[in-house]
Amino acid sequence: MAEAISLRSQSSGRAEALMNNSRIIERARGGDDEAFRMIFDRYSRPIISFIYDMVGQRELAEELTQETFVRAYRSLKLLRDDAKLSTWLFGIAKNVARESLRSRMRENHRVEIDDDRVAMIADNELTPDDRLLNKELSLVIQAALSALDEDKRMVFTLKIFQQRSYEEIADITGFSVPKLKTDLHRARAEMRRRIEPYLGVGYEV
Amino acid sequence: MIEEYFDGEMDEKNSRLVAAHIAACGACALEYDRLGREQELYTSYEREVDVTPALWAGVQARIREERADQTGSVRQWLTGFFSAPRLSLVATAALVVIAVGATVGVMSYLNSRNQPGGVSTGDQTARNNPSSNSNTQGGTDNQKPDDVAPPAPEKSEPMPVPPNRVARKETAKKPTPEQLVREAEQKYVAAIALLSKEVNQRRTELDPAVLAQFDSALAAIDRTIEDTRRAVRQSPNDPIALQYMLAAYAKKVDVLREMAND
Repeated sequence: MAEAISLRSQSSGRAEALMNNSRIIERARGGDDEAFRMIFDRYSRPIISFIYDMVGQRELAEELTQETFVRAYRSLKLLRDDAKLSTWLFGIAKNVARESLRSRMRENHRVEIDDDRVAMIADNELTPDDRLLNKELSLVIQAALSALDEDKRMVFTLKIFQQRSYEEIADITGFSVPKLKTDLHRARAEMRRRIEPYLGVGYEV
Repeated sequence: MIEEYFDGEMDEKNSRLVAAHIAACGACALEYDRLGREQELYTSYEREVDVTPALWAGVQARIREERADQTGSVRQWLTGFFSAPRLSLVATAALVVIAVGATVGVMSYLNSRNQPGGVSTGDQTARNNPSSNSNTQGGTDNQKPDDVAPPAPEKSEPMPVPPNRVARKETAKKPTPEQLVREAEQKYVAAIALLSKEVNQRRTELDPAVLAQFDSALAAIDRTIEDTRRAVRQSPNDPIALQYMLAAYAKKVDVLREMAND
């Protein structure tokens, strides 16, 4: 009984949130800056994280996040399903990040992993200091992410860091579910190879 | 399969089966455990990026800039688009005459195709009566424009005309400017409907940013159409109001055509 009540209240809470979302979107569509600010506040953090994971540079990630929200503002009238605002924003962020990666490729500034750096970090004895370890691990993860090809990096980031469902990832990327499952599996394997030393004592492959 | 189960993407029935298998299979249990450890590790990933107040300030500045540009460009477009009539009333009149003339020409052609060799005594009466011809704008019931009817044989005997043909010729009057404008408007509306349908089918293929610009332009044109229609209703004989309205329709056709071919 208590569980049923809890489920009902969760569901009505979700419905209320969706309704609020719709109201905010409607206001933003009408040119209300404050409403658009609320959308920005709600989604800017996951969007900037996603873009950063894709491009690997802080300044560029900030610039591209800005571009994402400007484009979103411009095209807000085209959003057909208000409940999919988040997926839609990620879709724009994906396009913005991809365009940037491609233009950098054209300029021969390829995003490449410094394999030696990762190998060095991974092979070194780990410091017992947790903070330092985290920093080090973050560097390893970031470098390992950069080593993934673009499709795998995108799928991996959306699943592992953004906790998106396969269906949402398919919506954002335009990939089929079988393709994204394959990409995710391969990305996990590649990432595993690089973060193995950090998986803890007693971990055996 | 285990990854799918771990990701919570499996239906209930299969989830139960996989869970039972993991409980019994050491290798799969290890794999499942490994995925959990990895996920835990990934949650400690710290990025050197954060949302700063400057980020919103940048977004806001760009939005305001774009909004100002958009207002400026729409104003510029409208000024440019409608500046000719203001500069020259003669040009306006000429354009209206051309538009009306073209419509009359098309109608004449269609009439001549529909009624091959159709000459009635009504035409001759009109031709033999200069006073009735002089009133070309009056639109009297028996009037027939000279440029529409093919010339009658000069010395032919008056032919008996079947009653149904007389009736048909009597209704084929010279259209008034209001009718011509209404017809032109209807043609534009029909063209817009066709193009809109085509554009709607192509919406998903267009770049969202480009699409937004097109939509914004269309919204501005729609407002102009509405305003000019209101002006025409208030002053149906004002050539400038008529030209504004037809020009706005033409612009919408242009934009839709551009969208359809983009």
